[in-house]
Amino acid sequence: MNKKDWKILLVDDEHEFITTLAERLELRGITPRVAFDGESALAAVAQEEPQVIVLDVLMPGIKGLEVLERVKRSNPRVQVLLLTGHGSTRDGIEGMRLGAFDYMMKPLNIDTLIEKMESAIDYAGKAANLG
Amino acid sequence: MRDALFMGRLTAGATHEMQNILATIRESGGLMEDLLAVGGEGFAHAERFKKGLCVLAEQVERGMALSEQLNYCAHAPEATPAGAEVNEAMRSLVGLYRRDAARKRVNLVLAAGRTGLRTSLRALELMGRAGLALDCALALLPQGSQLMLSVEEQGGLAVLRLDSPGYEALRGQEPFAELERRARALGAGVSAGPGGQGVVLSLPKPQA
Repeated sequence: MNKKDWKILLVDDEHEFITTLAERLELRGITPRVAFDGESALAAVAQEEPQVIVLDVLMPGIKGLEVLERVKRSNPRVQVLLLTGHGSTRDGIEGMRLGAFDYMMKPLNIDTLIEKMESAIDYAGKAANLG
Repeated sequence: MRDALFMGRLTAGATHEMQNILATIRESGGLMEDLLAVGGEGFAHAERFKKGLCVLAEQVERGMALSEQLNYCAHAPEATPAGAEVNEAMRSLVGLYRRDAARKRVNLVLAAGRTGLRTSLRALELMGRAGLALDCALALLPQGSQLMLSVEEQGGLAVLRLDSPGYEALRGQEPFAELERRARALGAGVSAGPGGQGVVLSLPKPQA
Protein backbone atom coordinates (compact mmCIF):
# COMPACT_ATOMS: atom_id res chain seq x y z
CA MET A 1 0.00 0.00 0.00
CA ASN A 2 1.24 3.46 -0.91
CA LYS A 3 1.98 5.78 2.00
CA LYS A 4 -0.47 8.38 0.71
CA ASP A 5 -3.28 5.85 1.23
CA TRP A 6 -2.38 5.16 4.86
CA LYS A 7 -5.11 6.18 7.28
CA ILE A 8 -3.35 7.53 10.34
CA LEU A 9 -4.75 9.33 13.36
CA LEU A 10 -2.38 11.23 15.67
CA VAL A 11 -3.64 11.95 19.19
CA ASP A 12 -1.86 14.16 21.73
CA ASP A 13 -2.88 17.15 23.82
CA GLU A 14 0.46 18.82 23.03
CA HIS A 15 -0.75 20.88 20.04
CA GLU A 16 2.64 22.10 18.82
CA PHE A 17 4.19 18.66 19.09
CA ILE A 18 1.49 16.80 17.25
CA THR A 19 0.85 19.36 14.49
CA THR A 20 4.59 19.56 13.79
CA LEU A 21 4.77 15.77 13.67
CA ALA A 22 1.82 15.79 11.24
CA GLU A 23 3.65 18.32 9.04
CA ARG A 24 6.78 16.16 8.99
CA LEU A 25 4.74 13.11 8.02
CA GLU A 26 3.08 15.12 5.23
CA LEU A 27 6.52 15.96 3.86
CA ARG A 28 7.03 12.17 3.63
CA GLY A 29 3.78 11.59 1.74
CA ILE A 30 1.60 10.58 4.72
CA THR A 31 -1.49 12.68 5.45
CA PRO A 32 -2.59 12.03 9.03
CA ARG A 33 -5.61 13.36 10.85
CA VAL A 34 -5.01 14.95 14.24
CA ALA A 35 -7.00 14.91 17.50
CA PHE A 36 -6.04 16.79 20.64
CA ASP A 37 -7.83 14.72 23.28
CA GLY A 38 -9.39 11.34 23.92
CA GLU A 39 -12.97 12.44 23.20
CA SER A 40 -12.07 13.88 19.78
CA ALA A 41 -10.02 10.77 19.04
CA LEU A 42 -13.00 8.49 19.66
CA ALA A 43 -15.20 10.75 17.52
CA ALA A 44 -12.60 10.67 14.71
CA VAL A 45 -12.47 6.86 14.86
CA ALA A 46 -16.27 6.67 14.68
CA GLN A 47 -16.31 9.03 11.71
CA GLU A 48 -13.70 7.17 9.68
CA GLU A 49 -11.79 4.13 10.88
CA PRO A 50 -8.03 4.72 10.76
CA GLN A 51 -5.56 1.88 10.21
CA VAL A 52 -3.19 3.17 12.88
CA ILE A 53 -3.61 5.51 15.83
CA VAL A 54 -0.55 7.12 17.36
CA LEU A 55 -1.82 7.78 20.85
CA ASP A 56 -0.29 9.66 23.77
CA VAL A 57 -0.77 7.85 27.08
CA LEU A 58 -0.93 10.88 29.37
CA MET A 59 -3.69 13.26 28.35
CA PRO A 60 -6.21 15.25 30.35
CA GLY A 61 -9.77 13.90 30.19
CA ILE A 62 -10.04 10.39 28.80
CA LYS A 63 -6.61 8.84 29.25
CA GLY A 64 -4.75 7.13 26.42
CA LEU A 65 -5.19 3.64 27.84
CA GLU A 66 -8.95 4.13 28.13
CA VAL A 67 -9.08 5.35 24.51
CA LEU A 68 -7.10 2.24 23.54
CA GLU A 69 -9.51 -0.07 25.37
CA ARG A 70 -12.57 1.57 23.84
CA VAL A 71 -11.14 1.56 20.32
CA LYS A 72 -10.11 -2.08 20.60
CA ARG A 73 -13.67 -2.93 21.69
CA SER A 74 -15.41 -0.94 18.94
CA ASN A 75 -12.87 -1.24 16.11
CA PRO A 76 -10.60 -4.24 16.79
CA ARG A 77 -8.81 -3.95 13.43
CA VAL A 78 -7.34 -0.57 14.34
CA GLN A 79 -3.70 -0.81 15.43
CA VAL A 80 -2.51 1.49 18.18
CA LEU A 81 1.02 2.82 18.74
CA LEU A 82 1.30 4.33 22.20
CA LEU A 83 3.49 7.33 23.00
CA THR A 84 4.92 7.12 26.49
CA GLY A 85 7.20 9.22 28.61
CA HIS A 86 9.98 8.01 30.88
CA GLY A 87 7.57 8.09 33.79
CA SER A 88 4.99 6.03 31.95
CA THR A 89 6.88 3.02 30.56
CA ARG A 90 4.64 0.87 32.73
CA ASP A 91 1.66 2.32 30.86
CA GLY A 92 3.28 1.21 27.62
CA ILE A 93 3.59 -2.35 28.91
CA GLU A 94 0.02 -2.25 30.24
CA GLY A 95 -1.06 -0.92 26.84
CA MET A 96 0.53 -3.92 25.11
CA ARG A 97 -1.52 -6.14 27.41
CA LEU A 98 -4.63 -4.24 26.37
CA GLY A 99 -3.91 -4.81 22.69
CA ALA A 100 -1.62 -1.97 21.60
CA PHE A 101 0.59 -2.89 18.64
CA ASP A 102 3.66 -1.25 20.18
CA TYR A 103 4.79 1.71 22.24
CA MET A 104 7.41 4.40 21.70
CA MET A 105 9.11 6.87 24.01
CA LYS A 106 9.05 10.60 23.36
CA PRO A 107 10.89 12.31 21.73
CA LEU A 108 10.34 10.29 18.60
CA ASN A 109 12.57 9.25 15.77
CA ILE A 110 10.37 9.89 12.75
CA ASP A 111 11.89 7.09 10.64
CA THR A 112 11.28 4.58 13.44
CA LEU A 113 7.71 5.85 13.79
CA ILE A 114 7.06 5.36 10.06
CA GLU A 115 8.57 1.85 10.20
CA LYS A 116 6.28 0.96 13.09
CA MET A 117 3.27 2.40 11.26
CA GLU A 118 4.13 0.25 8.24
CA SER A 119 4.52 -2.88 10.40
CA ALA A 120 1.18 -2.17 12.08
CA ILE A 121 -0.56 -1.76 8.71
CA ASP A 122 1.04 -5.00 7.39
CA TYR A 123 0.00 -6.83 10.54
CA ALA A 124 -3.59 -5.57 10.30
CA GLY A 125 -3.69 -6.63 6.63
CA LYS A 126 -2.42 -10.14 7.42
CA ALA A 127 -4.82 -10.49 10.36
CA ALA A 128 -7.73 -9.45 8.12
CA ASN A 129 -6.74 -12.06 5.49
CA LEU A 130 -6.56 -14.79 8.14
CA GLY A 131 -9.89 -13.77 9.67
CA MET B 1 9.05 10.14 53.72
CA ARG B 2 5.72 11.93 53.18
CA ASP B 3 7.56 15.13 52.22
CA ALA B 4 9.78 13.22 49.84
CA LEU B 5 6.74 11.57 48.22
CA PHE B 6 5.07 14.98 47.85
CA MET B 7 8.16 16.55 46.27
CA GLY B 8 8.52 13.49 44.10
CA ARG B 9 4.99 13.88 42.79
CA LEU B 10 5.65 17.53 41.85
CA THR B 11 8.99 16.67 40.26
CA ALA B 12 7.52 13.77 38.28
CA GLY B 13 4.86 16.11 36.86
CA ALA B 14 7.50 18.69 35.97
CA THR B 15 9.75 16.15 34.25
CA HIS B 16 6.78 14.95 32.20
CA GLU B 17 6.24 18.54 31.05
CA MET B 18 9.97 18.95 30.35
CA GLN B 19 9.82 15.86 28.21
CA ASN B 20 6.90 17.28 26.21
CA ILE B 21 8.79 20.54 25.74
CA LEU B 22 11.92 18.73 24.56
CA ALA B 23 9.89 16.48 22.25
CA THR B 24 8.31 19.58 20.68
CA ILE B 25 11.70 21.27 20.25
CA ARG B 26 13.03 18.11 18.64
CA GLU B 27 10.08 17.88 16.22
CA SER B 28 10.39 21.57 15.34
CA GLY B 29 14.12 21.14 14.71
CA GLY B 30 13.33 18.06 12.63
CA LEU B 31 10.81 20.03 10.58
CA MET B 32 13.40 22.76 9.87
CA GLU B 33 15.83 20.06 8.79
CA ASP B 34 13.17 18.53 6.51
CA LEU B 35 12.33 21.91 4.96
CA LEU B 36 16.01 22.63 4.40
CA ALA B 37 16.38 19.26 2.68
CA VAL B 38 13.46 19.86 0.31
CA GLY B 39 13.90 23.57 -0.42
CA GLY B 40 17.23 24.71 0.92
CA GLU B 41 19.05 25.03 -2.41
CA GLY B 42 20.61 28.43 -2.78
CA PHE B 43 20.34 29.17 0.95
CA ALA B 44 23.66 30.86 1.65
CA HIS B 45 23.80 29.85 5.31
CA ALA B 46 22.63 26.25 4.88
CA GLU B 47 25.74 24.75 6.53
CA ARG B 48 25.58 27.04 9.55
CA PHE B 49 21.87 26.38 9.80
CA LYS B 50 22.46 22.59 9.75
CA LYS B 51 25.16 22.94 12.39
CA GLY B 52 22.73 24.90 14.56
CA LEU B 53 20.14 22.16 14.17
CA CYS B 54 22.71 19.52 15.19
CA VAL B 55 23.50 21.50 18.34
CA LEU B 56 19.77 21.74 19.04
CA ALA B 57 19.35 17.97 18.66
CA GLU B 58 22.37 17.28 20.92
CA GLN B 59 21.03 19.60 23.60
CA VAL B 60 17.61 17.94 23.43
CA GLU B 61 19.32 14.56 24.01
CA ARG B 62 21.20 16.05 26.95
CA GLY B 63 18.00 17.48 28.38
CA MET B 64 16.22 14.16 27.90
CA ALA B 65 18.91 12.27 29.82
CA LEU B 66 18.75 14.79 32.65
CA SER B 67 14.96 14.74 32.70
CA GLU B 68 14.98 10.93 32.80
CA GLN B 69 17.41 10.89 35.74
CA LEU B 70 15.33 13.49 37.56
CA ASN B 71 12.17 11.49 36.89
CA TYR B 72 13.84 8.45 38.43
CA CYS B 73 14.61 10.53 41.54
CA ALA B 74 11.00 11.71 41.64
CA HIS B 75 9.83 8.11 41.98
CA ALA B 76 12.71 7.08 44.26
CA PRO B 77 10.80 7.58 47.55
CA GLU B 78 8.12 5.10 46.44
CA ALA B 79 8.25 1.60 47.91
CA THR B 80 8.37 -1.14 45.27
CA PRO B 81 7.51 -4.73 46.26
CA ALA B 82 10.45 -6.18 44.31
CA GLY B 83 12.92 -3.68 45.83
CA ALA B 84 15.04 -1.05 44.08
CA GLU B 85 17.09 -2.11 41.04
CA VAL B 86 20.60 -1.09 42.05
CA ASN B 87 22.15 -0.37 38.64
CA GLU B 88 19.19 1.76 37.57
CA ALA B 89 19.42 3.82 40.76
CA MET B 90 23.19 4.28 40.32
CA ARG B 91 22.81 5.35 36.68
CA SER B 92 20.53 8.20 37.75
CA LEU B 93 22.66 9.10 40.76
CA VAL B 94 25.93 9.20 38.84
CA GLY B 95 24.28 11.16 36.01
CA LEU B 96 23.12 13.81 38.46
CA TYR B 97 26.37 13.83 40.50
CA ARG B 98 28.68 14.29 37.53
CA ARG B 99 28.35 18.06 37.56
CA ASP B 100 29.20 18.19 41.26
CA ALA B 101 32.19 15.93 40.67
CA ALA B 102 33.36 18.01 37.70
CA ARG B 103 33.25 21.15 39.86
CA LYS B 104 35.66 19.41 42.22
CA ARG B 105 37.76 18.32 39.21
CA VAL B 106 37.02 14.64 39.80
CA ASN B 107 35.95 12.44 36.92
CA LEU B 108 33.04 10.31 38.16
CA VAL B 109 32.41 7.14 36.18
CA LEU B 110 29.81 4.40 36.44
CA ALA B 111 31.36 1.13 35.34
CA ALA B 112 29.30 -1.23 33.21
CA GLY B 113 28.11 -3.40 36.09
CA ARG B 114 25.58 -6.08 36.87
CA THR B 115 21.97 -5.30 36.07
CA GLY B 116 18.97 -6.94 37.71
CA LEU B 117 20.42 -6.86 41.24
CA ARG B 118 17.94 -5.64 43.82
CA THR B 119 17.91 -4.49 47.42
CA SER B 120 15.14 -4.16 50.00
CA LEU B 121 16.02 -0.45 50.36
CA ARG B 122 13.87 2.13 48.61
CA ALA B 123 15.67 3.75 45.70
CA LEU B 124 15.81 6.99 47.72
CA GLU B 125 17.57 5.27 50.65
CA LEU B 126 19.97 3.55 48.27
CA MET B 127 20.79 6.76 46.43
CA GLY B 128 21.15 8.59 49.75
CA ARG B 129 23.75 6.09 51.03
CA ALA B 130 25.66 5.98 47.77
CA GLY B 131 25.46 9.78 47.60
CA LEU B 132 26.98 10.02 51.07
CA ALA B 133 29.84 7.77 49.97
CA LEU B 134 30.36 9.95 46.90
CA ASP B 135 30.30 13.11 49.05
CA CYS B 136 33.01 11.65 51.31
CA ALA B 137 35.14 10.80 48.32
CA LEU B 138 34.61 14.09 46.50
CA ALA B 139 35.52 16.06 49.62
CA LEU B 140 38.76 14.16 50.11
CA LEU B 141 40.06 13.05 46.72
CA PRO B 142 42.70 15.23 45.08
CA GLN B 143 41.79 17.20 41.95
CA GLY B 144 42.28 15.29 38.72
CA SER B 145 41.30 11.93 40.27
CA GLN B 146 38.95 9.44 38.77
CA LEU B 147 36.26 7.92 40.98
CA MET B 148 34.65 4.77 39.68
CA LEU B 149 31.40 3.35 41.01
CA SER B 150 30.36 -0.15 40.04
CA VAL B 151 27.47 -2.45 40.88
CA GLU B 152 28.59 -5.99 41.61
CA GLU B 153 27.37 -9.19 43.21
CA GLN B 154 29.21 -10.67 46.18
CA GLY B 155 27.91 -13.76 47.94
CA GLY B 156 24.41 -13.25 46.60
CA LEU B 157 24.29 -9.62 47.76
CA ALA B 158 24.20 -6.51 45.62
CA VAL B 159 27.21 -4.36 46.44
CA LEU B 160 28.36 -0.91 45.41
CA ARG B 161 32.08 -0.59 44.94
CA LEU B 162 33.87 2.75 44.89
CA ASP B 163 37.38 2.83 43.59
CA SER B 164 39.95 5.51 43.09
CA PRO B 165 43.75 5.57 43.38
CA GLY B 166 44.60 6.20 47.03
CA TYR B 167 40.98 5.77 48.04
CA GLU B 168 41.69 3.24 50.79
CA ALA B 169 43.52 5.92 52.83
CA LEU B 170 40.23 7.79 53.03
CA ARG B 171 38.60 5.07 55.08
CA GLY B 172 40.27 6.41 58.21
CA GLN B 173 38.73 9.87 57.76
CA GLU B 174 35.80 11.19 59.76
CA PRO B 175 33.28 11.36 56.86
CA PHE B 176 33.65 7.60 56.48
CA ALA B 177 32.82 6.98 60.13
CA GLU B 178 29.57 8.86 59.47
CA LEU B 179 28.95 6.82 56.32
CA GLU B 180 29.48 3.59 58.28
CA ARG B 181 27.05 4.72 60.99
CA ARG B 182 24.34 5.61 58.50
CA ALA B 183 24.86 2.49 56.40
CA ARG B 184 24.56 0.27 59.48
CA ALA B 185 21.34 2.00 60.49
CA LEU B 186 19.89 0.84 57.17
CA GLY B 187 21.27 -2.68 57.39
CA ALA B 188 23.98 -2.01 54.79
CA GLY B 189 27.61 -2.92 55.43
CA VAL B 190 30.77 -0.98 54.60
CA SER B 191 34.04 -2.83 54.03
CA ALA B 192 37.30 -2.64 52.13
CA GLY B 193 37.18 -3.76 48.50
CA PRO B 194 39.05 -6.80 47.14
CA GLY B 195 42.78 -6.60 47.95
CA GLY B 196 42.10 -3.69 50.31
CA GLN B 197 41.24 -1.47 47.35
CA GLY B 198 38.37 1.00 47.48
CA VAL B 199 35.22 0.71 49.52
CA VAL B 200 32.32 -1.70 49.24
CA LEU B 201 28.77 -1.05 50.43
CA SER B 202 26.84 -4.32 50.84
CA LEU B 203 23.13 -3.76 50.42
CA PRO B 204 20.38 -5.67 52.20
CA LYS B 205 18.67 -8.37 50.13
CA PRO B 206 15.12 -7.85 49.01
CA GLN B 207 12.64 -9.74 51.18
CA ALA B 208 11.51 -12.96 49.54
